[in-house]
Amino acid sequence: MKAILATVISLALTTVVIGNAYYQKKQFYPSIVYLTNSNPSMAVMYLQAFILVLLVGKLLRKIFFGQLRPAEFEHLIERSWYAITETCLAFTVFRDDFNPKFIALFTLLLFLKAFHWLAEDRVDYMERSPVIGWLFHVRILSLLMLLAYADSYFIFHAYQVTASKGPSVQLVFGFEYSILIIMIANILIKYALHAIDSRWETPWESKAAVLLYTELAINFLKVLLYIGFVAVMVRIYTLPLFAFRPMYETMRSFKKAYNDVVLSRRAIRNMNTLYPDATAAELAAADNECIICREEMHSGAKKLPCNHIFHAACLRLWFQRQQTCPTCRLNVLRAPAPSPDAGPAPAQRANPAPAPGPGAVPGQAPPQAGAVPPPFPNMPPPPMMSWGIPPPPPPRPASLATLTTAELQRMEGTERRNIEARLQLLREIQAMLDASVLLMQQYSAVVTNLPQNQSTVATQTDAVPIETVETPKVKVKVEPDVVPTTSSHQSLSAPSTSGVKLPPVDTPELSSRDKTDTDAEELRRRRLQKFTMDK
Amino acid sequence: MAGSALRRLMAEYKQLTLNPPEGIIAGPVNEENFFEWEALITGPEGTCFEGGIFPAKLIFPPDYPLSPPKMQFICEMFHPNIYADGRVCISILHAPGDDPMGYESSAERWSPVQSVEKILLSVVSMLAEPNDESGANVDAAKMWREDREQFNKIAERLVRNTLGLPPP
Ligand SMILES: [Zn+2]
Ligand SMILES: [Zn+2]
Repeated sequence: MKAILATVISLALTTVVIGNAYYQKKQFYPSIVYLTNSNPSMAVMYLQAFILVLLVGKLLRKIFFGQLRPAEFEHLIERSWYAITETCLAFTVFRDDFNPKFIALFTLLLFLKAFHWLAEDRVDYMERSPVIGWLFHVRILSLLMLLAYADSYFIFHAYQVTASKGPSVQLVFGFEYSILIIMIANILIKYALHAIDSRWETPWESKAAVLLYTELAINFLKVLLYIGFVAVMVRIYTLPLFAFRPMYETMRSFKKAYNDVVLSRRAIRNMNTLYPDATAAELAAADNECIICREEMHSGAKKLPCNHIFHAACLRLWFQRQQTCPTCRLNVLRAPAPSPDAGPAPAQRANPAPAPGPGAVPGQAPPQAGAVPPPFPNMPPPPMMSWGIPPPPPPRPASLATLTTAELQRMEGTERRNIEARLQLLREIQAMLDASVLLMQQYSAVVTNLPQNQSTVATQTDAVPIETVETPKVKVKVEPDVVPTTSSHQSLSAPSTSGVKLPPVDTPELSSRDKTDTDAEELRRRRLQKFTMDK
Repeated sequence: MAGSALRRLMAEYKQLTLNPPEGIIAGPVNEENFFEWEALITGPEGTCFEGGIFPAKLIFPPDYPLSPPKMQFICEMFHPNIYADGRVCISILHAPGDDPMGYESSAERWSPVQSVEKILLSVVSMLAEPNDESGANVDAAKMWREDREQFNKIAERLVRNTLGLPPP
């Protein structure tokens, strides 16, 4: 309703402005000149353009996504706020290039970014949604193709402009679209994984591992891009403050992905090689239930050093998140391996002891006895051209053999200088990164200490970077087995004759919605009765 | 298939309906989507939230139970451990390691051993005994510490709110 009103008003304003210009000048070109020279008219035109962009966005959203889920919408708004603030920061660096075309390009960038985010959310949702129709696949695939095309077009454009006219704001665009195209690659991989997964009847166990490695690779690429971009920006302009928050977040997630991969590999290797399979007696003692999936354990169960038993497959998935015992939180990486003779099941240990567990992840390298494999075995050192805009290559003679000794020596000198310069640059980057991490820490510390009076600043609080705000210290004591308020609840239901006790819901097959609703209604009615009696 | 998460959620739902804990109702919003639940929590007796029926929603991640769900009250709340937008901030809902400040020991954190029922019971005990060191709602924490009478008044208004009664 509000949107329609805004559209109508802006349309009316534009008509009035253009009509006025034409009325005054009577001809096309003079009217245009008049329009562009009058600030109020331009403001109206900008507003009109903005609303048009929003309308197009709405239309495209309808085409590619249909109705947004509330969570998607919230996410979109939150990320848009970040992006807008960062764009404004970027404006400060490129004050000189400031013109309508520049603003239009940034708006387009934001616009495309929003669709990338939505596509990401939608693909993540695939995992949870029970039914995925062909419409979903058509929409997502066509959208991803379109976005990938747009991204590569803009990267190419930025490259051309930079190559022909030297560095400009196009550097930022080239970089931003490179990040976006990496994002598209990530989404496509996830999409493929989810799509394959949903076709299989049995759960696909190595999917999580593949996702973990993808995450690591993607984050590594992004970190390289950010470092390269910041280095270039520092060289040519100034510290790109607007890139710091996303860079910090990328580095954090890269570090996390790296740790996850290394630690989980270690834990899974331990599990496969050191921990014994659980015996039937041990399984029976644990009620045959795996506490992770709440399903029965028949075979393929592993016993941790703390004697807790789980499905090997469940444990593997858990170890990709945490390397602890789910029940007692024993750190399996620090715990000593169970000694072969002390185990209560020596017979069991004897047979398949060193063999990899019954369900070794197929997609994963077989566990290696010995050191953890290096994180990036074949990764070349960060190439300086990784942000997609390679500087024009220096002229180089066709063959080194044709050079004279003097030439060779001269070249050696320049190469040496180049390398020195590069090293210097890398050191600067490192110092800068340290500083930015420090800055972010202080920032988050300040933010956590802010008095958060809610309702008014709720949106800002949401927009604060990093989850520090979400995880302040809380120590509500959790007593898993003791219900703290049970006694008071009993005393609540006992004396009241109307019986506030909740009616037990007995048939799980019943539609939960109706059931909960009627229960809630009933509960509310009785509460009301109680309340009116008390007063 | 996101099968294991779905199967576990179904198992928990069955458990909760067959054997519901006192004062708590919870279940999926609709049978199509087992990853979004609604819960009704009665304010614990003998506390300022006594008598209220507080609706909340739980959103489960696709890798549940490896990651914790998110919980958010969908009625107005005023509590040291609840954000203004209703998000609940208790340690059981955080995975170890997602706390850069390192306040909480991992013993109180999320692990697959926890369940919807345990979360809801912890929320009930959180209502009874707020942790006023939390940063979720600083005003509420301050008022809880320094002006209990005022806090109780607000709580009473919220309770009447959830019952659809006008403020006293
Ligand atoms: Zn299991
Ligand atoms: Zn254990």
